[in-house]
Amino acid sequence: MTQSGRAASLADLTLAEAGRRLACGDVSPVELVEASLQRIEMLDPLVHAFITVDAQRARAAARAAETRIRAGGYRGGIDGIPLGVKDNIDTAGLRTTSHSRLLQDHVPDEDAHLVARIAGAGGIVLGKTALWEFAQGRPSWDLPWPPAANPWSLDHQPGGSSSGSGAAVAARMVPAAVGTDTGGSIRFPAASCGLVGLKPTYGRVSRRGVHPNTFSIDACGPMARTVEDCAILLGAMAGHDARDPGSIDEPVADYRAALTGDIRGVRVGLVRHWYAGVATAEVEAAVDAAAERLREQGATVEEATLDPLQDYVDCKTVIAISELYAVHERDLKRRPQDFGASLRSMVMAGALLLADDYIQALRWRAELASRLLAQFARFDVLATAGWLSEADAYRPGEVGAVHSRPPVTMPFNVAGNPAINVPCGFTSEGLPLSLQIAGKPFDEATVLRVADAYERASGWRDRPPPLIASEYA
Amino acid sequence: MTRQPSSLSREEIALLARVAGLDLAPQHLDELVKSWHWLEPVLGRIPRQRVRTDEPAHVFDPRKFMPTKGDT
Repeated sequence: MTQSGRAASLADLTLAEAGRRLACGDVSPVELVEASLQRIEMLDPLVHAFITVDAQRARAAARAAETRIRAGGYRGGIDGIPLGVKDNIDTAGLRTTSHSRLLQDHVPDEDAHLVARIAGAGGIVLGKTALWEFAQGRPSWDLPWPPAANPWSLDHQPGGSSSGSGAAVAARMVPAAVGTDTGGSIRFPAASCGLVGLKPTYGRVSRRGVHPNTFSIDACGPMARTVEDCAILLGAMAGHDARDPGSIDEPVADYRAALTGDIRGVRVGLVRHWYAGVATAEVEAAVDAAAERLREQGATVEEATLDPLQDYVDCKTVIAISELYAVHERDLKRRPQDFGASLRSMVMAGALLLADDYIQALRWRAELASRLLAQFARFDVLATAGWLSEADAYRPGEVGAVHSRPPVTMPFNVAGNPAINVPCGFTSEGLPLSLQIAGKPFDEATVLRVADAYERASGWRDRPPPLIASEYA
Repeated sequence: MTRQPSSLSREEIALLARVAGLDLAPQHLDELVKSWHWLEPVLGRIPRQRVRTDEPAHVFDPRKFMPTKGDT
């Protein structure tokens, strides 16, 4: 195999595969980083997944990891693996912009807690990925960097707000990346890009050093091509942080060990009324088929009835816009022209909200969350669609467009429990579709176990995007 | 009981924005009018008929705000 052929092959490894080869000395962190850099150089001019790539820093980290591993200091997990980090997460000495002109030259002094944990586990931050402005705007062309494109079809959006993390992993520039999720910002791009994306329980991963969207809802989590890779990355990121008031001191499970492949007897509550007749016909058929597959694997699947999807969306929207205004008020008054139009229009609306609106929405949240979480007396997990349509086509110049269908991810942001999206098929045009599985608070292990068992049985993960397939043509 | 839809005019929205401290350029006011008219029906759907003791999803734990030595 030629050197460039080997690099392309290494870039296609999953995180777990790369780890196994690192462990036996078959590959080095330096080779993995070079393979990622080569893939980025080739495809990122089309995909725009990264805002900043720090090759020098990544190469230095890779050399240090290589020396340590050769000396017998291999740590397992993400050790020696190149990763992408969403650009609303602080990285000491490395520009962190939130994809906004407001922070165009912002270089943090300190790593976010989760970045420090990744570094401590030997992970190598290759660069910072594109997003919707401050994880809240929409794909915009009035910002200093273009929006990311979907590797499955460059004319389509990769979903958001962790759009660059999704695009980077789908284009196999990195085996995994970190995203943030306030209303579906990990799971939506995972659905759009044919990936696995996990929003952990609120408080599972520290938000310290992560630019706030909505303090009371924000969560950080892994995005990867496989459930196993998400389990590995979550294990590195998760842990209590006494300096994050939202962090909760619960033991971190061995998520990888939870992936037994056995879901016999698992009780699945299928929330069909959130997608049936609302989603596209192809989504509805794919999610119904996925539920049937879970049943064939030994799970019991019964329909569950919860509050209407729109209730969660309305509740989350009022809470989010209220908190968003408090976050951005100072900049909005001093330099409104430096916001993208999409984010600015949403932030401004917060100026007209009353304290009563916010508190009543928080009361509603308590009610909605209680009813949703009560379902776990009857079920081990809930299943529904991961998104209600395939990826949206890009319409350049369209600013601030809202989703045509309600975000089916939001109920689990309101309730704060863990939820994962896993691929469950493709449209007739070859765009990915997604199944969502949610669990009890802090029971990420069961969510991952069910998703992994489904992933193994379904085989959807093995299909590469046309962009990658054409690289070998 | 729900918040009554007000269908605020552009001038009323501009006044409320000024009260909130926003002195908006005409283009930005256009954006606010559009986004407010999107948000207003959402506010109308928040349930407000509650007993006094209904707790919001907010708990304050003072231990979380004690000084710490640093990262754990």
